[in-house]
Amino acid sequence: MISAEHQGPDAPSQSTPPPRERGNVICRGRRVYLRTLAPADLEHLSDWVDDPFLEHMVGSEFLQSYKHVWDKSPAFFEAVLTDPTQVVLVIEASRGWPKPVGVVRLFNIHLLEGYAFLETIVADRRAMKRGFGVEAGKLISYYGVDVLGLRRIEAKVYEYNVLSMNSLRRNGFRQEGVLRQAGFDGERYWDLVIFGILKEEIEAQRQKDEVDLPLEPTEGNGRESS
Amino acid sequence: MNVAAAAGMQDQPQTPDRGPAPAGVACLRVAGPLTAVTAPGFRARVRQAVDDYGQARLLIDLNGVTAVDAAGIAALLDARRVLEAQTGGTLVLRANAVVCRALRDTGTYAAFALWNGPGM
Repeated sequence: MISAEHQGPDAPSQSTPPPRERGNVICRGRRVYLRTLAPADLEHLSDWVDDPFLEHMVGSEFLQSYKHVWDKSPAFFEAVLTDPTQVVLVIEASRGWPKPVGVVRLFNIHLLEGYAFLETIVADRRAMKRGFGVEAGKLISYYGVDVLGLRRIEAKVYEYNVLSMNSLRRNGFRQEGVLRQAGFDGERYWDLVIFGILKEEIEAQRQKDEVDLPLEPTEGNGRESS
Repeated sequence: MNVAAAAGMQDQPQTPDRGPAPAGVACLRVAGPLTAVTAPGFRARVRQAVDDYGQARLLIDLNGVTAVDAAGIAALLDARRVLEAQTGGTLVLRANAVVCRALRDTGTYAAFALWNGPGM
């Protein structure tokens, strides 16, 4: 469901901070819901940006920008919120999770041409393999089509990040190519695998929308041979 | 000002009034953030304005807009589509620096007819 709500799933009360302080729910799935960034989320970003595992698996320019360009400044919040070339949404588990589990964003959005790039960061390692990232990617893809009018979404994955590749495939993304040794992790170069999905394929996924079961360890085979 | 604004919520776009339409052009004034949270309401207002005036020429005054994100620009593009779907449909934007910067950053500047003249 794509809509904007002024409250999260937590029961509102008199002491509930205003929407800007806790974010507005933008879309909701079975396992997770996506909300706008709130000032308090910068604290989580500060933790995530220093996580070497995340840096290795995702290599997020978004997190790197927060740390190295903005020096973890609070001004990053306003900059993100008013950046018309990206949509950054915080992933919250629908139940049983006290803190945000990550961030999903569409960036380098080309509204006239109708394409954008997807990045999904499940930062809490305990939240991995529970289908949170799959559903977050699916919800923001719907948002991209329904609200932004996108007709194509693209994603890049390090060749060793099998979990992300499987998540993209579960959402109907197809491997479209390989950028040879285009990624550098500080020690060696790695291939980047390109995935893409078209609007019609997103709609097809929506038609067969069902519960996302936790990923099986053996599911998928990582990168396809080119 | 609506209830949400009175409660201190800064993320509801305000539409104080629909000003007199110069030369038969309907005018829709928008103020506040035009973002993911407020864009759905803005889209509805545009459609309502087109229905209310029964004409396809609309001027949207964005002079009071304080922030625009991708969803806001997408809503403006959607307004353009709605107007262009009408016979003789025309959409003109009155944009301030915030809106102009967002249009430039998204490469959509040339997609709109902009007007900053008097008579609003």
